[in-house]
Amino acid sequence: MNKGKIVSIHSFRGGTGKSNTTANLAAQVALAGKRVGVVDTDIQSPGIHVLFGLDETKMGKTINDFLHGTATIREIGFSIGENTGGAEGRAKLVGKELWLFPSSIRGREISQILREGVDFNRLNEGLQTTISEFDLDYLFIDTHPGLNEETLLSIATSDVLIIILRPDNQDLQGTSVTIDIARSLDVPHLMLMVNKALPKYDFAQIKKDIEAKFHAPVSGVLPLTFDLADNASNDLFSLRYPDHEWSKALRGVADAILAIK
Amino acid sequence: MSQEIQNYLRKTSLFSGLSDDMLNTLAQNTTTRKLAPGDVLMRKGELADSLFIINEGWVKIVTVDSKGDELIINKCGPGEIIGEMALLDSGPRSASVIALVNSEALELKRETFQDVIDNHPDVSLSIIRSYSNRLRFSTTYIERAIDWSQKIAEGDYSFIEHTEPVSKSTETDDDKATQLLSAFFTMVRKVKEREDGLKQQLEQLTFEIDQARRKQEFEEITSTEFYAKLKEQAKALREKRTQQ
Repeated sequence: MNKGKIVSIHSFRGGTGKSNTTANLAAQVALAGKRVGVVDTDIQSPGIHVLFGLDETKMGKTINDFLHGTATIREIGFSIGENTGGAEGRAKLVGKELWLFPSSIRGREISQILREGVDFNRLNEGLQTTISEFDLDYLFIDTHPGLNEETLLSIATSDVLIIILRPDNQDLQGTSVTIDIARSLDVPHLMLMVNKALPKYDFAQIKKDIEAKFHAPVSGVLPLTFDLADNASNDLFSLRYPDHEWSKALRGVADAILAIK
Repeated sequence: MSQEIQNYLRKTSLFSGLSDDMLNTLAQNTTTRKLAPGDVLMRKGELADSLFIINEGWVKIVTVDSKGDELIINKCGPGEIIGEMALLDSGPRSASVIALVNSEALELKRETFQDVIDNHPDVSLSIIRSYSNRLRFSTTYIERAIDWSQKIAEGDYSFIEHTEPVSKSTETDDDKATQLLSAFFTMVRKVKEREDGLKQQLEQLTFEIDQARRKQEFEEITSTEFYAKLKEQAKALREKRTQQ
């Protein structure tokens, strides 16, 4: 029996800070003592591995190999707790139970997967195998923006869907469709996270307005911050700067995930 | 000339209560300083040994902020007295004074000032009265400003409606205090406008979902064969998970 939850992180458009959020949420949940996996299914533009300090030279087998049947899940899992590298934030993950399952960043392999398409049952089987093989409590999926077929597969298989949006009309419009899709696919737990909110806004009001609009909980409103952009995607921001407003709000989202029964 | 200065001194708030004799003594002991624009009348930190009465023109009273930029504290014109604070408390100059235009200032040395005070208790009294007046104004305005600041912090701007200090004159200290308050009120009004504007922006933001487009996009995605199959598979998966 699988007790691990699949948590998909999605955003309708790019640039919402999705990969950064996914990596930080996964790290916070791992820091809380949970066994956590992170899958990068953003096969078209994988990027989350950078935040975990994994570059191409260190990358072995990838999700793409698994989808082709040329690698087992065991071979793909890259232990972050054993390979935190030099970054100050990531160093706090030493000994934690956190694994990354990277996508291939090699162009030829990416296009091959896209051509062939991904099968729902095969993906789901893969995720369930990942959870049982690594005895995971949570498996985070960093999805591709928009609502293409791979993303729909990820949403369909999720126990928890977190939609990240910026507080602007375009993101709200796209999010409305994603919410309808998630409800149509019976995703049991749906939550929203607002990112890149200008500090001049009233965050409590943003939360209230969006919750009223979508009848879905907003688990956090995170500020737009140049500090995060300065971090240049090289470290886990919420671990490196735990007292920053962005990090505090992010921990609120992590707590909301941990509170789901 | 001395008579002219004497008349002039009588009009200042500090010396207005003095006798003709006393004013005459004072007038005879002043020297005139002519200033071109940019000339420095006194420098912050210098030891003080005289006070100045602006006779003609305008000067600015400046200090330097933490970034090293010039900060204008005040501008003074005819009839205003500068630098008396340092004479009374023997401290260094609290700010620098620089001429804005061609100006003339009457300089009164410490010894003369001290003599006047020593020999004429009414001058001391006049000085004390003038200070206590200024202090009373400052205190009243500070108290009100504190009260209003607390209201602003609580988001209560209602006091703007029934308070309206307006003044265009710069002649007296209380007018200056009123001007300061006027500037304060302008600021509060701008803050309130900005806040209202932001609230409005936020409301527009949340109420601009195009429901027709939302429905259309949803239908475009869900009407495919792929989606129908996925929905079925997902349903089966959910049922299986619930049974476990």
